[in-house]
Amino acid sequence: MISELRVENLSKSYGKTKALDKVSLTVSPSEFLVVMGPSGCGKTTLLLTILGVLRADEGHVYLDGEDIDDLRISQRNLGYAPQDFGLFPHLTTYDNVAFGLRAKGFGRSEIDSRVKARLSLVGLEGLEQRKPSELSGGQKQRVALARALAIDPCLLLLDEPLSNVDEVTKADVKANLKETIKRAGVTTICVMHDPEDALELGDRIAVMHSGAIIQVATPKDLVENPQGEIVRRLLHHLLRT
Amino acid sequence: MQAETSQKHVALARESLDRFNLGLRLMAGAFILFMLVSLFYLYVAVGNSWSAVANALLDNRILGALWISVSSAFIVGALAITLAIPTAYVLTYNNFKGKQLMETLLIEFPQTFPPATVGLVYLLMLGPGSPINIAYTYPAVIIAKLYVSAPFALSFVLRRFREIHRSGLDVIAESLGGRTRHILLWVLLPLSTIDLVGGFSLTWARAMGEVAATLIFAGAISWKTEIFPAVVYLTSQSAPEVALAASLIAAMLSIAALTLFKWVAGRR
Repeated sequence: MISELRVENLSKSYGKTKALDKVSLTVSPSEFLVVMGPSGCGKTTLLLTILGVLRADEGHVYLDGEDIDDLRISQRNLGYAPQDFGLFPHLTTYDNVAFGLRAKGFGRSEIDSRVKARLSLVGLEGLEQRKPSELSGGQKQRVALARALAIDPCLLLLDEPLSNVDEVTKADVKANLKETIKRAGVTTICVMHDPEDALELGDRIAVMHSGAIIQVATPKDLVENPQGEIVRRLLHHLLRT
Repeated sequence: MQAETSQKHVALARESLDRFNLGLRLMAGAFILFMLVSLFYLYVAVGNSWSAVANALLDNRILGALWISVSSAFIVGALAITLAIPTAYVLTYNNFKGKQLMETLLIEFPQTFPPATVGLVYLLMLGPGSPINIAYTYPAVIIAKLYVSAPFALSFVLRRFREIHRSGLDVIAESLGGRTRHILLWVLLPLSTIDLVGGFSLTWARAMGEVAATLIFAGAISWKTEIFPAVVYLTSQSAPEVALAASLIAAMLSIAALTLFKWVAGRR
């Protein structure tokens, strides 16, 4: 299922700190939107609010036009891969990917074919019986992706997918990530702090600062027409080259 | 001249550091000695009257106390873990007014509340004067020991559940469609096995050592409610070899249980 996400006037405060300040954005079906900004700008809060872990003080989250604010996390059908990948350490690659399908009550043969298809999509055939501790950072990231995609989510939420991947394999992991998501065709919101990675991965980039979205544009537009000093400063080293 | 002075300073600093280090070692040594001397003395005392103690080991009263102590401690351990799991789940995932106080009453308070008072409260509540009278029965042994020992199981399981909750693995499970039973059975419990074993072992060991609450509420009826520590207490004057035999078995069982736990924990 490929869905459209609409976030309307989302606000969230922690005491006097505004983590989200009237955030509105729309992500089209199959679009890869990167939410980019420095640490503490509110991008993870936005992701966790869409996921349902946090509840906004004001505003709404719509999935295909339906308000999902009151749905529990398990009812939203969103794929989520956190920064540290969040693999279940006691389960093998196969069982990690099969987790959601088992929880949703799929039959054994359906689970088997879906798990194999997802592992093949991310290029992890042959590693089914490995535990997370026996995988590299890049492999863990692919297991997390396969697991999130296995449930056919309406929306994929990725939190800093490249931050726990070493520099040597980062380029490969990035290419694989982009390719996998394109092939899966799932609507994706990915939170990142690195402008270079954001420009490379996103169909569009939403730049966040102090809880607010200050510009949403395609990578090309962002580089050619950065709006305001903050965006220019964030893209500083990329604009010079 | 300056180099000489700084060398002197370094030497002085090292010397005072060593003196400080020596002080720490001495204090640690004194405490270790204090903690181990009673166990060592038990060994010496048994060694002096080994044949009498060996005979007492097969004494009918000792065998009865062995059965009551070990079986009740196992039941208490199993009950404590079974009840600690849902309680720890509720305390991890629900916020309510007075939660802090509730945790204190469930974990810290029973460990500091005098066990004799616990026994007295149960005797008044579930004793001869109340509609439900289970005083001086085996269930009374279980209840008295459970109150005193269960906090160990709860604190172990609660600490681990909170650790897993902080790691966010439960949120991942939920995002994948997992409901409460999947989160508990497929994530929390498998990741808490060592803590469940640890909680069980300490609860078991504490239940083995508990005496005052049990003695007051359940009494000391041989093969029914009499436990090891009660035998030690009641025979220390009249039949010291029986008391020694009971102490020896109790000490060995506790050491074996805790060693087993540490071994299991080390395999994680």
